[in-house]
Amino acid sequence: MNWLCDLMEPRVMDDDMLKLAVGEQGPQEEAGQLAKQEGIVFKDVLSLQLDFRNILRMDNLWQFENLRKLQLDNNIIEKIEGLENLTHLVWLDLSFNNIETIEGLDTLVNLEDLSLFNNRISKIDSLDALVKLQVLSLGNNQIDNMMNIIYLRRFKCLRTLSLSGNPISEAEDYKVFICAYLPDLVYLDFRRIDDHTKELAEAKHQYSIDELKHQENLMQVQLEDEQARQEELEKHKTAFVEHLNGSFLFDSMYAEDSEGNKLSYLPGVSELLEAYKDKFVIICVNIFEYGLKQQEKRKTELDTFSECVHEAIQENQEQGKHKIAQFEEKHLSSLSAIREELELPNIEKKILECSADISELFNELMMLEMQLVEQLEETINMFERNIVDMVGLFIKNVRSLMAQCRDLENHHHEKLLEISISTLEKIVKGDLDEDLPDDLRALFVDKDTIVNAVGASHDIHLLKIDNREGELVTRIDSWCTHLVDKIHKDEIVRNRKRVKEINQYIDHMQSELDNLEYGDILD
Amino acid sequence: MEVLREKVEEEEEAEREEAAERAEWARTEKMMRPVEVRKEETTLTQETLRDLEKKLSEIQIPISAELPAFTKDTIDISKLPVSYKTNTPKEEHLLQVADNFSRQYSHLCPDRVPLFLHPLNECEVPKFVSTTLRPTLMPYPELYNWDSCAQFVSDFLTMVPLPDPLKPPSHLYSSTTVLKYQKGNCFDFSTLLCSMLIGSGYDAYCVNGYGSLDLCHMDLTREVCPLTVKPKETIKSEEKVLPKKYTIRPPRDLCSRFEQEQEVKKQQEIRAQEKKQLREEEERLMEAEKAKPDALHGLRVHSWVLVLSGKREVPENFFIDAFTGHSYSTQDERFLGIESLWNHKNYWINMQDCWNCCKDLIFDLGDPVRWEYMLLGTDKSQLSLTEEDDSGINDDDDVENLGKEDEDKSFDMPHSWVEQIEISPEAFETRCPNGKKVIQYKRAKLEKWAPYLNSNGLVSRLTTYEDLECTNILEIKEWYQNREDMLELKHINKTTDLKTDYFKPGHPQALRVHSYKSMQPEMDRVIEFYEMARVDGLIKREETARTMTEYYQGRPDFLSYRHANFGPRVKKLALSSAESNPRPIVKITERFFRNSAKPAEEDVAERVFLLAEERIQLRYHCRDDHITASKREFLRRTEVDSKGNKIIMTPDMCISFEVEPMEHTKKLLYQYEAMMHLKREEKLSRHQVWESELEVLEILKLREEEEAAHTLTISIYDTKRNEKSKEYREAMERVMHEEHLRQMETQLDYLAPFLAQLPPGEKLTRWQAVRLKDECLSDFKQRLINKANLIQARFEKETQELQKKQQWYQENQVTLTPEDEDLYLSYCSQAMFRIRILEQRLNRHKELAPLKYLALEEKLYKDPRLGELQKIFA
Repeated sequence: MNWLCDLMEPRVMDDDMLKLAVGEQGPQEEAGQLAKQEGIVFKDVLSLQLDFRNILRMDNLWQFENLRKLQLDNNIIEKIEGLENLTHLVWLDLSFNNIETIEGLDTLVNLEDLSLFNNRISKIDSLDALVKLQVLSLGNNQIDNMMNIIYLRRFKCLRTLSLSGNPISEAEDYKVFICAYLPDLVYLDFRRIDDHTKELAEAKHQYSIDELKHQENLMQVQLEDEQARQEELEKHKTAFVEHLNGSFLFDSMYAEDSEGNKLSYLPGVSELLEAYKDKFVIICVNIFEYGLKQQEKRKTELDTFSECVHEAIQENQEQGKHKIAQFEEKHLSSLSAIREELELPNIEKKILECSADISELFNELMMLEMQLVEQLEETINMFERNIVDMVGLFIKNVRSLMAQCRDLENHHHEKLLEISISTLEKIVKGDLDEDLPDDLRALFVDKDTIVNAVGASHDIHLLKIDNREGELVTRIDSWCTHLVDKIHKDEIVRNRKRVKEINQYIDHMQSELDNLEYGDILD
Repeated sequence: MEVLREKVEEEEEAEREEAAERAEWARTEKMMRPVEVRKEETTLTQETLRDLEKKLSEIQIPISAELPAFTKDTIDISKLPVSYKTNTPKEEHLLQVADNFSRQYSHLCPDRVPLFLHPLNECEVPKFVSTTLRPTLMPYPELYNWDSCAQFVSDFLTMVPLPDPLKPPSHLYSSTTVLKYQKGNCFDFSTLLCSMLIGSGYDAYCVNGYGSLDLCHMDLTREVCPLTVKPKETIKSEEKVLPKKYTIRPPRDLCSRFEQEQEVKKQQEIRAQEKKQLREEEERLMEAEKAKPDALHGLRVHSWVLVLSGKREVPENFFIDAFTGHSYSTQDERFLGIESLWNHKNYWINMQDCWNCCKDLIFDLGDPVRWEYMLLGTDKSQLSLTEEDDSGINDDDDVENLGKEDEDKSFDMPHSWVEQIEISPEAFETRCPNGKKVIQYKRAKLEKWAPYLNSNGLVSRLTTYEDLECTNILEIKEWYQNREDMLELKHINKTTDLKTDYFKPGHPQALRVHSYKSMQPEMDRVIEFYEMARVDGLIKREETARTMTEYYQGRPDFLSYRHANFGPRVKKLALSSAESNPRPIVKITERFFRNSAKPAEEDVAERVFLLAEERIQLRYHCRDDHITASKREFLRRTEVDSKGNKIIMTPDMCISFEVEPMEHTKKLLYQYEAMMHLKREEKLSRHQVWESELEVLEILKLREEEEAAHTLTISIYDTKRNEKSKEYREAMERVMHEEHLRQMETQLDYLAPFLAQLPPGEKLTRWQAVRLKDECLSDFKQRLINKANLIQARFEKETQELQKKQQWYQENQVTLTPEDEDLYLSYCSQAMFRIRILEQRLNRHKELAPLKYLALEEKLYKDPRLGELQKIFA
């Protein structure tokens, strides 16, 4: 009766249900007793089976962080949800449910086996995140478009596919089509694909597949190009000189400068502008190359430093390990000696010796650590000094180069002003033989207007240059401070960790000894 | 005789100058008497020198061995080719030239011993030494290099001392004869070796000179065996890495430098003391080992081979002593002087002073001041372009002029009279005479055998002794070849009694080294295995009486080491004595390599199963940035709590130290599962140890069997030894032979006996042909009938006998023993069988006889010899 009732009544996954299932499927017998004693934490569960339970809604699964295998077949689930936290999931069974669309699987990057058999799915999509997918079961669904197969080409590991019972499987060349478009597939509809079929399929669909492949290749190449560009830019950014290997800065100077653009139509200005641009770009490129070189230098410096520090730490660790190994050997023998000793005073004496040993070890280890800390501090300070110097030099040089840019701009401004004024005079005199655009002519009403216009253009240019310089300087400064901070912080963290480790070890040893003492006295 | 006349003129001219030169000669002549002169006063007059020479030559050294059996009488010269027995005109001419040369030489240099130019050969015919060399390239690739060639010559021939140690021999036999009898003196040795070396492209020369006693008697007792010399280890100098920019400074050294210095000083003093003692000891030993002074030092004639640099990428001139096959530098002090040397093209006399052995000799044969050549215009090998002092040459060019112009410029050495040198593959393989050779070295004895000579595959044995008298054996090394168990070397150390067997790859148990003191199990032994050859990755197993240690490599479970301690064997009840009684295992220690796929705190580095205490200790790998490693100890206790329930797991059963405490490991369930897992592992490990013990037993058994059987493998390419292929080949030959016989039979001529009656060569008349045919046919018919009768007769006989037997049986049936009855029954069945066969044969004969008859008739019609018959029917 109960069973019937269950059958009839749709249910929602709740805590009780999960607890029950976990309890049933958890360890058995002796281990089961223990498990019951302690209680099972959902986080430790690796596999969960929830079939034939009339579940309508998936819920409360977020605690199962380490779940590897989840079976939810033969329920009445309509929507895939609540799986976001189950990122370790490898095996997911959702067959015999009422799911209509594939969704909610975007975080399951480790999924290898997915079964959606006997559902109501009509389109294969939203599986992009499942890069490790090997087995996909989509039989008995409502997939009716062959083009869904092409979607599956992106899963490089896919070896097993089942699509029988779908409308597309009725199609005449269903099998051949799939074999042609998914050449890496080994099993289709629970049968091995024989080589003959593969050859046949290849021959039949060769042209369309070649075209497809070509397109895919093009896409791939495009993607790679894009990536390469991005990487290049990234590299320049780390050198803080991005967009300086060309006329980007110059172009940006004129991008927002309407007056400047207008003025360029004045006679003689275009040549002037051309020469100005050339000179400006040369300086920019200089800055760029200098920046890259400096970046390289900083990198080698940093590499040497980290290598040296790593070596020093390694050596120190080796010494520590050696000390501990020595100690343990001695400690073990003295412990067994204590166990064999019968006389109480002797025992006490030996225990005292033991604890002296332990404190001696502690001293030695701490000494090693302190020594390392001192050494590292010295090195780090040296490095800090060097890197700060380097950065300072870099900033200084960049500033001087930027000043050159500014000089150029000033020079250009003067020239432009000259031309403008002479043009104004000409216009005033009325013997201007050339035709000027109307908006430009509008500027030549009086001297103030034109001087203002030229001045505004000049100001914009200077601002741009200043901005670029300021950006560079702040960024490199912040990088430098960050780096130094990080090194210091790392060292502190390392030191804390080591001290903690030593303390922990010594505490353990001491408590072990104390326990022994205690036990012996009890005996 | 143009040459001679010229020579005479030249002589006369020379004589005039001679008087003046005498004095000069007197100064230089002593150079021809090498070292022994040096030992006398340096200012010797000619007379005293001659006296001394005379005296010395009177001393007769008793030759220890009886005169060699290898004399002319034992050589069968009848089968030797003509070139051995006679001289060609060209050779005659050469001999005359040589005589002339020798005459002039003795005239000019009367103080030097006569030249060794044309000794007699085995047929008592004088032959020039250069023509005795027969350059031959051997068909064996092993003999392409000088060292293997020299070793072969020294192995192949038995050394015979010179009849007179102070004079070159009167006879020089051909290399073919020497090879045949495998005996020879130093001249035979060096002639053969020189022939082989020149054949394989070396610039080699035979040398007639003076050697030390050891050299002349092939006495190696004062030499260190080359096999015992350990190769010098090249110490790689570690490159000092430059300190990097940010290398941390070492902590300040707080030790007193003064104290350190004092300490170093003290150490040095002690070391110097030790060194001195060591050196003294060494000197003392050297003294003891030194040879007794030889009375004939520097007079003993010896012959060896000189190889000049240049050809075959030889970087430096060197000597090869053909007796031992060893190479020596030209500076070696055992070679005391050179009289002359020759190759297959020319003959040179040494004109340099040998007072300092051969150390100052310059082997520039193109230099006529230093080397007087006999034939002009052959190869003036390496006339050095940097003639040091022209004036020097002009001063004493009298010697130079000696033979230069005399010779006919186009005259070159005649071809060798010696037959092609051949060594059969059998002889090559057997190497030493009878396949055995013993060499005595200083504190060592080397024995060699030919492969397959010893049934256990032993090919050489080196015995090292403690003392010079060779009484106390230090160690024995035995090398084996072609053994089925791949045993390569057996090393027995007599002082420690430790035996070590080395195996080549391919032993069924993948053994590499097995060192042991006894073959009993559970004793000290070390077995090493070939890496990768075993599935379980075992590379070494060490055993002592109470422990067994195994080292692994490349296992998927990263096991690297397993050590088992055994307890004393418990006495068992007699009941189960049939079963093996394994020693109880007290402790198993296993170590693992780091498995990089696991985090360090879950990757076990060492686990110890203390079986007796029911304790399991785990030690995990250390994380990269840590100095301590996690530990865990499980105590297996099965106890019952106050209510009588079995305690499954309590917190005190697992003591753990974790570097970074984690939550889930604190759980009892986790610990329980870990413990259960370890329990299973413990069982497995115990099983493994037990299996290892069994395996050791198996290996020991196998080794014993192999030692007892010592079967040798035979390559499938070795047609001579490979019995199987031999049988197969013989069988094939037999089949071929039978086939051949059968073919012969089918070609039997029917008409031959009848044709023989007629006179041969005449054409048959028709009548004769008809008669022949009839006779043949009737004869055949008779044969058929006879055969039928024969079968019939046998058939009847058998039947009768059977009947008789049956009768006898029926009469005696009652009294017969069962055995007799059996006998009778078997006889009956056999007889019946025979009768049946005969019957079948008879029937078959009856069927076939007419057919055969007709076939013969047909054949006779078609016979071309009976063509007359055909004519009629045609």
